[in-house]
Amino acid sequence: MAFDDDDFKDEIQAHLAIAAGEKVRDGIDPRDARYAALREFGNVTLTREAARQVWTPRWLEALSDLAGDVRYAVRSLAKRRAFSLTVIGVLALGIGLNAAVFTMLKGIALTPIAGVAGSGRLNTLYRETTAHRPVRLSYPDYQYLRYRDTAFRELFGSAYARVGLGKDRASRSLFAEVVTSNYFHALGVSAQLGRTLTDADEIAPGRSPVVVISDALWRREFAADPGILGQTIELNSARLTIVGVTEPSFHGTIVAYDVEVFIPIMMAPQLGFTFGSKRTSPAEILADPLTTMFYPQGFLRPGVTSASASAQSTTLWSATAADRPVAETGEQIRVVPFQRAPGSGQSTLLPTLMVLTAMGLLFLAIACANIAGLVLVRGLSRRGEIAVRLALGASRRRIVRLLIVENLVLALPGAAAGILLAANGIPVLTAYSEWLAAPERLFMNLGVDGLVIAFATLVACGCALVFGFVPALQTTRVDLMAVISQDASPRGAPRGRFRSVLVVAQVAVSLLLLVGAGLVTRSLDAARHAYPGFQVDGVTMVELDLKQHGYDEAQGRVFYKRLLDEVRTDGAVESAALAGWPPLDFLETRGQPVRMEGYDSRRDEDLVFLTSAVTPEYFSTLSIPLRAGRPFQDADDEASTPVVIINGTLADRYLGGPQRALGRRISVGGGEWRTVVGVAADVKYLRINEAPRSYVYLPFLQQYRPVMTLHTRGTAPDDVLVEQARAAVMKLDRDLPILSARPMTMQFTSSLLLFNITATMLFVFGIAGMSLAALGTYGLVAYTVRQSTHEIGIRMALGADRVSVVRGFLARGLRLGLIGAAFGTAGALASSRYLDGWLFGVTATDGVSFTRALAIVLAGVVVATFVPAWRASKTDPLSALRHQ
Amino acid sequence: MPKTSDEGRLELLQGTLDMLVLRTLQWGPQHGHGIGQAIRTQSDDLLKVETGSLYPALHRLVKRGWLKAEWGVSQSNQRAKFYRLTPEGKKQLLREESRWAQLVSAIARVMNPARSSDE
Repeated sequence: MAFDDDDFKDEIQAHLAIAAGEKVRDGIDPRDARYAALREFGNVTLTREAARQVWTPRWLEALSDLAGDVRYAVRSLAKRRAFSLTVIGVLALGIGLNAAVFTMLKGIALTPIAGVAGSGRLNTLYRETTAHRPVRLSYPDYQYLRYRDTAFRELFGSAYARVGLGKDRASRSLFAEVVTSNYFHALGVSAQLGRTLTDADEIAPGRSPVVVISDALWRREFAADPGILGQTIELNSARLTIVGVTEPSFHGTIVAYDVEVFIPIMMAPQLGFTFGSKRTSPAEILADPLTTMFYPQGFLRPGVTSASASAQSTTLWSATAADRPVAETGEQIRVVPFQRAPGSGQSTLLPTLMVLTAMGLLFLAIACANIAGLVLVRGLSRRGEIAVRLALGASRRRIVRLLIVENLVLALPGAAAGILLAANGIPVLTAYSEWLAAPERLFMNLGVDGLVIAFATLVACGCALVFGFVPALQTTRVDLMAVISQDASPRGAPRGRFRSVLVVAQVAVSLLLLVGAGLVTRSLDAARHAYPGFQVDGVTMVELDLKQHGYDEAQGRVFYKRLLDEVRTDGAVESAALAGWPPLDFLETRGQPVRMEGYDSRRDEDLVFLTSAVTPEYFSTLSIPLRAGRPFQDADDEASTPVVIINGTLADRYLGGPQRALGRRISVGGGEWRTVVGVAADVKYLRINEAPRSYVYLPFLQQYRPVMTLHTRGTAPDDVLVEQARAAVMKLDRDLPILSARPMTMQFTSSLLLFNITATMLFVFGIAGMSLAALGTYGLVAYTVRQSTHEIGIRMALGADRVSVVRGFLARGLRLGLIGAAFGTAGALASSRYLDGWLFGVTATDGVSFTRALAIVLAGVVVATFVPAWRASKTDPLSALRHQ
Repeated sequence: MPKTSDEGRLELLQGTLDMLVLRTLQWGPQHGHGIGQAIRTQSDDLLKVETGSLYPALHRLVKRGWLKAEWGVSQSNQRAKFYRLTPEGKKQLLREESRWAQLVSAIARVMNPARSSDE
């Protein structure tokens, strides 16, 4: 039932007719009776409205009130276009930068795995040695826990791998995951075509030559052929039958990598994966307890925390202690959230994102303070309007509501613009990362989705309240009589202090941002010019994996020997060598336990070092000097004495220095004793800012690996050298995928990628924050000056010159600037040590960064004060006095 | 006793209008003007209900389901909208009456602590 307007009009007409009729019966003239009845009835319209209101639901009434406020706000803001656009612009910048950082944080911490619901709640399990080093589990270890560990709903295993895709297609390398059969079920990922893996795929080694491929691979390599199921593809020269295509949204569980094939664990040995096992038959490799395959993962059961799961799993694990080597007693099982999985892309990126988030919020604080200043100034000039409204009976709550609605009307377009900014900015960052990573395919879950939009909207509303509330309260706290009697012009004093606080806060926070930006950009600069311990210019690297084309060890040895001969035939190549890993490889790879004759390790000491297999010319190709002894020789082959070269740090730390280390014997990975024949100078193995670390080189001829990097050094331009090396590989085997081929200069650049992104973002935050603070200060000072026009006029009329007028304002502005700078410096000194992980070649209290930031901030304050003061001092004293 | 207004009339206590309307309709259906008149005459002209309050009250009671409105013809043969108590409305009237009685006796006790509760 609802209010019927016509019906009510009828009812009132009837009422009036009856009332008039009664009056006629009482003897009153019919015409007068009608008027009397009307008079008695009162205000017909008001009555109708009141009756109508009975039928209006309360929320509808509130809504229509709100709509009125919104309409009014839009109209009044449209009239002050400059003000509105400034606020929206500032907010868009603040929210856009924050939304971008949030999107990255979301892609790492909240929804790290695209296509998997609740992936942020995934947990990772690993063995932890007494020295707190994480260790991957073997397949038998996983099996043991999988069926016993009740902390997890379903524990699955997945090992990151790279595989070569078949001969008949243009041979190329893909990212793959070698997975247990419950992988898809545990993640809740289904197939858009065919099936995923089932328990039947995990019965016996080699029994299930099947593979599930990603939507992207299906579209790219097979033109989305609906009849794909049952076709075979060759991966690492093993033929696998495609049984399914995953949903388009799923890109595997290796953050930052676009995984395109999912291989059952039972097929891994056939594809050449040994996981560090010394055994040879597929069944033996899978059953080898010494292998390190993966960190099992899964969702915890309801009510189970990571900590309780750790305890529960450790208890289970301890029960097997009797079957394992003594060295492993005391080991624990740790269960940590997926974001902190050891050595993963997500745990590497997380600290960076935390810093960016903190900086983003600081920036937002400046933006809010800035807008608060604008709103305040605008509010002051509206005191007249507000006073009139109060005088007409509007409640203070009603007016505060109107002001907040006005702020929201500004904030929401700001949020929308910010989201657009983020949505357009993120692809630029990802495109840059992808360019550096090419030809490898990256995938980050960085879509701007509902969550990001919700975040931005929430932040915008929060800002609207923050920057709107205090000024709104101040504005409504007006003395009615004072304002109205003085022709509704802005006056009064109480806002002066709040304005000063805003200036001080903006200066302080922008100084903080500038110090951070300065430290990190100076670090990046230092890192760019740092010497990584090897020659970068004129050196190339080409990564190959012979198992991707089915080479066994004998064939592989022949291939690599012929490859070195082939590249050396070119006149431009001065030197060529092979190495197990290129330097500056960024992600931590598997270390090997090392024993040293005559050195007893302490119990909590973990002698696990990175190792590499290299050919004799490696050190000369990369210009790595030897601090003692000799390089490897062609004579150091399988038939001769096992030898090893160690780096300077290892020699200094454990063997009494390079000279005394020569002739000592060490054993790597539980292998035979090897004599130290040389000590090589340190290089930066993973990152430019890493601390010195021990490193062991084995001769390639004594330690064959299918995965090697070819380095060549020459006088030709870098890209010519790279093409020459690539051509040499193609000449020997057209179908062998080349994992990557690039100059070392590019390896160097991409190793600085994270550094670069952090520095760029911090720089943007710093400069944008600084500009906002300057703008805010300008606005507030300009307003103060404008208010003081009268005072200036009097002073100039009394003989003060322009210089002294300007000096007065400048002194005031500088005082605020200095107070802000003092706060900012204190804050920066207290917090800059959190940037430690991003610093290189500078300390957290780097004088240059601090001085530079101070100079920029104070210069900004001076300009922001001087310009409006100078303009004010040009006013004609007479017209200033005539004002008002 | 509450203060009388300038015209010697009483101001209606808040919330009592609904009760008075329900009570008036206990004697049978009536139109808006009739209800106003009835309250006025029964209170010896002490209470006068403004139409601006009466009609919203009538609509409120209809919305709550205590009254039903129908067009009909008055004794003087004029068309009018008649309001009638529903069974729900009768129950509500009983509730309001007992609440009113409680309120009156409570106020009386406060105003005349020495004397007994009833007038």
